[in-house]
Amino acid sequence: MEVSVSMDPLFLAWSCCRRRQLQRSADICSKILSESPFDQESGGAQVSEAAWSLKTRALTEMVFVDEVEVDQEGIAEMMLDESSIAQVARPGTSLRLLGTSQGGAPTPAVRPMTQSGRPVTGFVRPSTLTGRPETMEQAIRTPRTASSARPGTSASGRLVRLGTASMLTHPDGPFINLSRINLAKYAKRPNMAKTLFEYIFLHENDVKNALELAAVATEHAQFRDWWWKVQLGKCYYRLGLLREAEKQFRSALAQQEFVDSYLYLAKVYQRLDQPITALNVFKQGLDHFPTEVTLLTGIARIHEEMNNVISATEYYREVLKQDNTHVEAIACIGSNHFYTDQPEIALRFYRRLLQMGVFNCQLYNNLGLCCFYAQQYDMTLSSFERALALASSDEEQADVWYNLGHVAVGIGDLTLAYQCFKLALAFNNNHGEAYNNLAVLELRKGRIEQAKAFLQTAAALSPHMYEPHFNFATLSEKVGDLQSSFTAAQRSEDAFPEHVDTQQILKNLRLHFATL
Amino acid sequence: MSSVSQELKDTSVASSKWLDAHYDPVANLYTFSSCIALSDLHGDGENKLVVGDLGTGVCHMKLKVYRGTGLLSESTLLDLPTGLVSFLMDLHEPRTPAIAVASGPFIYVYKNLRPYFKFTLPSLEVNPLELDVWSQAREDMIDPMTLKEMLEGLRDKAEIPLSVRSLRFLMLEPQEMESFVHLYKEQPIRRQTVITCIGTLKKNMADDDAVSCLVIGTENGDVYILDPEAFTILYKMSLPSTATLMDVTGQFDVEFRITVACRNGNIYILRRDSPKPKYCIELSSHPVGLVRMGKNVVVGCTDETLHGYTQKGKKLWTAYLPAPVTTMALMDLPTRGFQAVLVGLANCEVHMYRDKNLISTIKTPDVVTSICFGRYGREDGTLIMTTKGGGLIVKILKRTAVFDDRDSAPGPPIAQSIRLNVPKKTKLYVDQTLRERENAVAMHRAFQMDLSRLRLAAARAYVKALESSLAPMSASLTEPLKMNAVVQGLGPSFKLTLNIQNTAASRPVMNLAISFLYDESLYSMRTAFFKIPLLVPGLNYPIDTFVECLSDKGISDIIKVFVLREGKSAPLLTAHINMPVSEGLALN
Repeated sequence: MEVSVSMDPLFLAWSCCRRRQLQRSADICSKILSESPFDQESGGAQVSEAAWSLKTRALTEMVFVDEVEVDQEGIAEMMLDESSIAQVARPGTSLRLLGTSQGGAPTPAVRPMTQSGRPVTGFVRPSTLTGRPETMEQAIRTPRTASSARPGTSASGRLVRLGTASMLTHPDGPFINLSRINLAKYAKRPNMAKTLFEYIFLHENDVKNALELAAVATEHAQFRDWWWKVQLGKCYYRLGLLREAEKQFRSALAQQEFVDSYLYLAKVYQRLDQPITALNVFKQGLDHFPTEVTLLTGIARIHEEMNNVISATEYYREVLKQDNTHVEAIACIGSNHFYTDQPEIALRFYRRLLQMGVFNCQLYNNLGLCCFYAQQYDMTLSSFERALALASSDEEQADVWYNLGHVAVGIGDLTLAYQCFKLALAFNNNHGEAYNNLAVLELRKGRIEQAKAFLQTAAALSPHMYEPHFNFATLSEKVGDLQSSFTAAQRSEDAFPEHVDTQQILKNLRLHFATL
Repeated sequence: MSSVSQELKDTSVASSKWLDAHYDPVANLYTFSSCIALSDLHGDGENKLVVGDLGTGVCHMKLKVYRGTGLLSESTLLDLPTGLVSFLMDLHEPRTPAIAVASGPFIYVYKNLRPYFKFTLPSLEVNPLELDVWSQAREDMIDPMTLKEMLEGLRDKAEIPLSVRSLRFLMLEPQEMESFVHLYKEQPIRRQTVITCIGTLKKNMADDDAVSCLVIGTENGDVYILDPEAFTILYKMSLPSTATLMDVTGQFDVEFRITVACRNGNIYILRRDSPKPKYCIELSSHPVGLVRMGKNVVVGCTDETLHGYTQKGKKLWTAYLPAPVTTMALMDLPTRGFQAVLVGLANCEVHMYRDKNLISTIKTPDVVTSICFGRYGREDGTLIMTTKGGGLIVKILKRTAVFDDRDSAPGPPIAQSIRLNVPKKTKLYVDQTLRERENAVAMHRAFQMDLSRLRLAAARAYVKALESSLAPMSASLTEPLKMNAVVQGLGPSFKLTLNIQNTAASRPVMNLAISFLYDESLYSMRTAFFKIPLLVPGLNYPIDTFVECLSDKGISDIIKVFVLREGKSAPLLTAHINMPVSEGLALN
């Protein structure tokens, strides 16, 4: 470890911290602290205090995750929710009620659904993945990986993987031993208490101690420091005490208008399944901070989750007016254009993302699809090729092969399509859509048993899809198994009530059953 | 809850033609329109409601009488009632009507709510061969298995159907046959039919208080007319099928007409002086309700339609209903010269039709299973309905109610005037098509070249997947298998379920084994290798095993599952299981 001699080590550490050379900064601070331990009453107390504080900051920064964005409802919160009173909420008042489209949005026949039963969005964020499983069986089924809609418990989940370092053991013990620390002593020194709190909350992920510190500190500040109230709210939120969190955030907002506080408060309301109140909070925030991008994004997200795609797009446009490099807004508007039959405009948006330096498999995949449907055939396959080259996981590979299968179906090359769908399944065994499409191809080949088996698997893998049920209904009707056809058609109707072809099958079958 | 009651109130205000007299959702009354009647049982000028309650269908069959909103009396019935009518049997004063309840092969006649007479249907001719067989059994000349074979032969060939006892015997398990034969062989064999529907027919006068005969339809397709006093059979007619619904009009001594809907989906019209049906209406689906309105017959069918026919069987009209019909009844208000058909629907509505026109709709809180309209208490226009959930609804027609007979012939459908939301083609699109037009050849070439490369890449990847059997379905023609794996649990213990299916058309697959490949420092498995039983085609075989996660670091890995053929090292198929993070240890 080389340390420049000419510069004051503390200043150097501070400078490193600002330049985000966090490890180096922490190392320098450790060195300062080892030279003059800060517990001792000596002349260098000020310096060692500063070094200690800086080190906590550096360590925290290393694992910092924006608390506003981290949201994962744990399995316990979902399944053992005591406060779910209205099982059937009115349309447009709940995030949990699926399929309450408020007009204008494309139907599932055009825009596919995610596993949680919402139209796919253009941007993956934690809340787009959390669906409310109907049964415990569904809740505990795999895969509960980052790309799925299955909830983890809040004890592990993303909070552990992203936000903390405490899981990995340090060779020479932790920097701060929380069990031995005197929280009351630190609480009296606000400047140190704040860094210590963030260290405990983010680095150690020890919400109980963080809450204790925050409680003592806010008492010490005579309940006049809004910052501590926000932190208290965060702790309560993590612990699932939503009403207490709401109280703290409201109190903090009464003292000091702050964008973060609005975001946290809206988050509480979203967790309480009160999207309308959350929207109101955002709008109050916009009164004080007009054209604030994060608030606008929040509104757009809520609209999107409530299947109100048109309003969501409006707000995303508003976001883009303020910040024309907002990746989420561009991606969402792009996907919306794609699914409303304007792939050429979607292509523009995705190209914009490419120009901004977003360079990943998903983007090339989308570009390829847009090119294909906008009839720019020369760029289609090369985009997919790049997407394949960039794919970092098996799931991504599977998705690219699946889309290539669609292209192959589009150009009528069914052999290629068959290979592509099979490859998609080889890379991702749980690809329900690929199973469904493969079944249709098998059916065209006349292999009814295979087709049936694939459709059943598809239906079991992705209960949110109506296609396997509908295909099964058509297949069974063709081979004369009307009873199976009827039950499958009814399931298809449950998944997508407005589907005209399903209705037609049901009508035919009912007529068939009624006639003598 | 507040919104629900609000809604109910709104509809009741809107259809203000009816007064809500009484609604008891827990009246515990399960019945159909054929088992419900209004009658002045005591001759005091006040009509009571008489209901043959089906109870649970097995027990608690009751004959219930309601006066006003309360239950007046209740007496137990021995068997399920199939029909209930009230009729005047004699000219004695006071003129109190009797109640006839049909159940099984009997008609129980009640007078003053006391059992008065029991009529039994004449027994039918027994197949002599069957008699012979049973007499052999009685003398222990044949064992039960031979008896069974002989009866089965008789059942398939003989013209006269088997008796109930033989049919019951044929249903039994082999070990129960012996005791059954032993128990019943001494008793004489009889063949009895059962009553399926019942109606009344005035004897010789058209007055309201004239003496009526009973008309019954039976399971073996006969229609009997019974004398009201002596309960002898006055007249017998036969139908090609079993009667299910019946409507009778006219007088026995003058001229009458019996309209019968049968189980074969036909409606037959019987007249005096002809033991065979005079006219026949062939329906396109099964009838659910039959009502005569003046000289026309209105039939509700299972295909959600309502048809009107003349009494000579000519079709007049068809109305399409929004839901399946549950029951039908006639609404007759002679004081106002008003007649309509009430149709109970499965979507909790009762529709009122005059000819093909829908003139009114009543919303009900539950699906209505029986409807009866008439004089109840001292009120002429009373509508009584019972619901699927056992509720009782009584509504009174307002004296000011007017039903206007509007023609519901539809105009052009509404959808015709809705504009489709077709997105406009953008300028960008036009520009792109221009580019396409100008560079068509270059684009085509580029695409074709890319396509060839893609085909090659796909084929390579496919061959690789096939060679190492990466796919979760097997490509071989001899063992077409499919597998998908499901992991359940929060950890550290997980349950792995492998769903294996043989997708061949008819060939079973055997001699298969499963093995797992996993990181042994992360996971442990109780059995990492086991054999699969013989796989019958088309069935899904779920195979369970347990995995223990050994790490507490919150990391996860992939477990590979191979399905192997015995004696071969290359797997038939492979499944990759993305294990979830074990959360059991992370909680501490």
